[in-house]
Amino acid sequence: MADIVTVTGLVKSFGDLTAVDHVSFSIAEGETFGLLGPNGAGKTTTISMISCLLEPTEGTIVVDGHSSHKEQTAVKRTLGVVPQEIALYPSLSAAENLAFWGRMYGLSGADLKKAVDEALDLAGLAERSKERVEKYSGGMKRRINIAAGILHRPKVLLMDEPTVGIDPQSRNHILETVKELNASGMTVLYTSHYMEEVEYLCDRIAIMDHGKIIAMGTLNELRDVVGGMDIVAVTVAGVSDAVVSAVEAIPGVDSVNRTEGTMEVLTPSSGSILGQLVATLESEGSHVTSVTVTEPNLESVFLHLTGKSLRD
Amino acid sequence: MPRFIHIASKDFRTLVRDKAAFLIMLGMPLVLIFILGSALGGVGESDTVDIPVGIVSVDTGDQGEQFAEAIADVEELQSVFNIELSDDVDDVRAKVERGDLTAALVIPAGFSDALAAGDPVELEVLQDPGAPLTAGIWAGVARAAAANLSGGQIVRMTVEGMRTEADIIEVPTGNQPTGPADMAFGAVKVTQLDVEPDKQVAMIDYYAAGQTGMFLLFGAMFGAFGFVKERREQTLARMLATPATKFDIVAGKSLGIFAVAACQFIVLYLGTRYLFGVDWGPTPGGIMLVGLAEGFAATGLAMTLSALGRTERAIGGIGPTVIMLFAALGGSMIPVETMPSWMAPLQSISPVYWAVGAFLDLMRGEAFSIILQPVAVLFGIGAVLFGFGLWRLRYE
Repeated sequence: MADIVTVTGLVKSFGDLTAVDHVSFSIAEGETFGLLGPNGAGKTTTISMISCLLEPTEGTIVVDGHSSHKEQTAVKRTLGVVPQEIALYPSLSAAENLAFWGRMYGLSGADLKKAVDEALDLAGLAERSKERVEKYSGGMKRRINIAAGILHRPKVLLMDEPTVGIDPQSRNHILETVKELNASGMTVLYTSHYMEEVEYLCDRIAIMDHGKIIAMGTLNELRDVVGGMDIVAVTVAGVSDAVVSAVEAIPGVDSVNRTEGTMEVLTPSSGSILGQLVATLESEGSHVTSVTVTEPNLESVFLHLTGKSLRD
Repeated sequence: MPRFIHIASKDFRTLVRDKAAFLIMLGMPLVLIFILGSALGGVGESDTVDIPVGIVSVDTGDQGEQFAEAIADVEELQSVFNIELSDDVDDVRAKVERGDLTAALVIPAGFSDALAAGDPVELEVLQDPGAPLTAGIWAGVARAAAANLSGGQIVRMTVEGMRTEADIIEVPTGNQPTGPADMAFGAVKVTQLDVEPDKQVAMIDYYAAGQTGMFLLFGAMFGAFGFVKERREQTLARMLATPATKFDIVAGKSLGIFAVAACQFIVLYLGTRYLFGVDWGPTPGGIMLVGLAEGFAATGLAMTLSALGRTERAIGGIGPTVIMLFAALGGSMIPVETMPSWMAPLQSISPVYWAVGAFLDLMRGEAFSIILQPVAVLFGIGAVLFGFGLWRLRYE
């Protein structure tokens, strides 16, 4: 498949702060591409530049053959945008909101009505389409927020953390919706700091931190980065710097990340270090309440590359 | 249909559904117009007591003084009016001009002689234009007294030394009152005069103009709220991510604010007219033009407020301050004539000043052409504010 989005050498600076630092990637037509990273990694700034909301400091963006710098209207017609915030009008009903956003994309008459009906069906809210959005639950608002981005059947859908702050049921609904849209041929750029979502949805993934892409590839390619290392997560009280140093000194420990009440240890041989790990913690005066071993995943990749957790 | 029409339509709908905005833009002005108009001279005024009025007689004969005392001695009148008797017409006129007296009946020189000769006598009522209803009541008293003069106690008093009752009372059939300001009763004619002729507007009318002028600007504040809210809730960014241009957005939002101001004005115009009987004058087209011109100025103000305020809280601070300042300078609260002359340059920057002035001119029955200058100024103020707002507006 040909590339439908090509980002080259993208930089965005705000004064002394470089929010996006020489980012390059491309997305093939029909692909679901994930941008994974913690808050502040530069994901939203990248999406804002692709959707023509921010002018890049450096670099180029080409969407479906159109330059985002010179042909903004053509780029905007190609894109559908689902922002991180629920960008809807609370005092309007779901149907009124969708009709408004459809009109902004140039839809009218029977085409608009059909698009609104289809979007409501996709959101599972056709029965409540006349209710004001302010009366909806957080999950329902999120679903309408997505529906407003796909009314005009865009070639490329940009989704910026679309599941933030919602219940598991609505989250599942949204993930299935993204799968459906992608299956219908829509290219999706999906940003999240939830590795499970990106693992579930995306064909290829770029991991961002401090404005840079630190790794990119398919899920398997990224897992290979850590060489089959496991994460040993220990729930433990009373972890001092001395305790961390003692754990790091255990043979077979690749890296250690300490958060409030937990310690994550990256290791290629979890089976062989478990006993020594618990013994070390106990001997240093820490109280272990649980130990969980997780096979290599994007979390372990991120931990391996940055020395910190995705949720730090 | 162009995108900006859809944006305007959406803004109109969202603002109309905002109960707080609805209350402030329509409920509050109607209540204030009623309260201020009632309290300061418009409605229910006849129930008030101790209204200061005067009777001044410059007649050198006895009849003038007797006529004045006869009126002043009526108990029913004493329970309502505080009647001051005088023989100094300049002093009384000055008191009316200052508002110390709401009205004064002038018994002219030669009153006694005219009665003795059977010639027509003209009584004059001076009135404070700021309290036309009160003055109207006092003029009514004068008319009643004049009628009595033709058929009651005065006549009897005068019979003794001068004329027979039949000589004086003869009121020709069909010689009925011709209007409130100029009524003839046989030999005695009462003329009701303003201290400033042709400039009388009832208090309820005055405050309808003043409060409408002020509250039209509050529409601007809510328009600015809408802009900032769209910025905060990211709907503005989402709009910018669609093929809608910045022109579409600015034009749509401005049209929405203008449409709201126009509807607000029409509701206030009709509401005050039919609920409170406000007399907007004989030129409704002119009144509408002034209202629309101020609506345009309000739209410009909304753009400026949107540009100056980063948050709704900031606009909530700046907006009412600017609007109240404009309103105070523009005569929404007290007539501009009562303000010191050094305020004149400040008044001219207030859209309320031009709007209220034009409303009042039309209410007084002035010609349509008199509003052309204020309407032009209002459009000019709107254009300047709009231009400034557009220049400083932030979309992110």
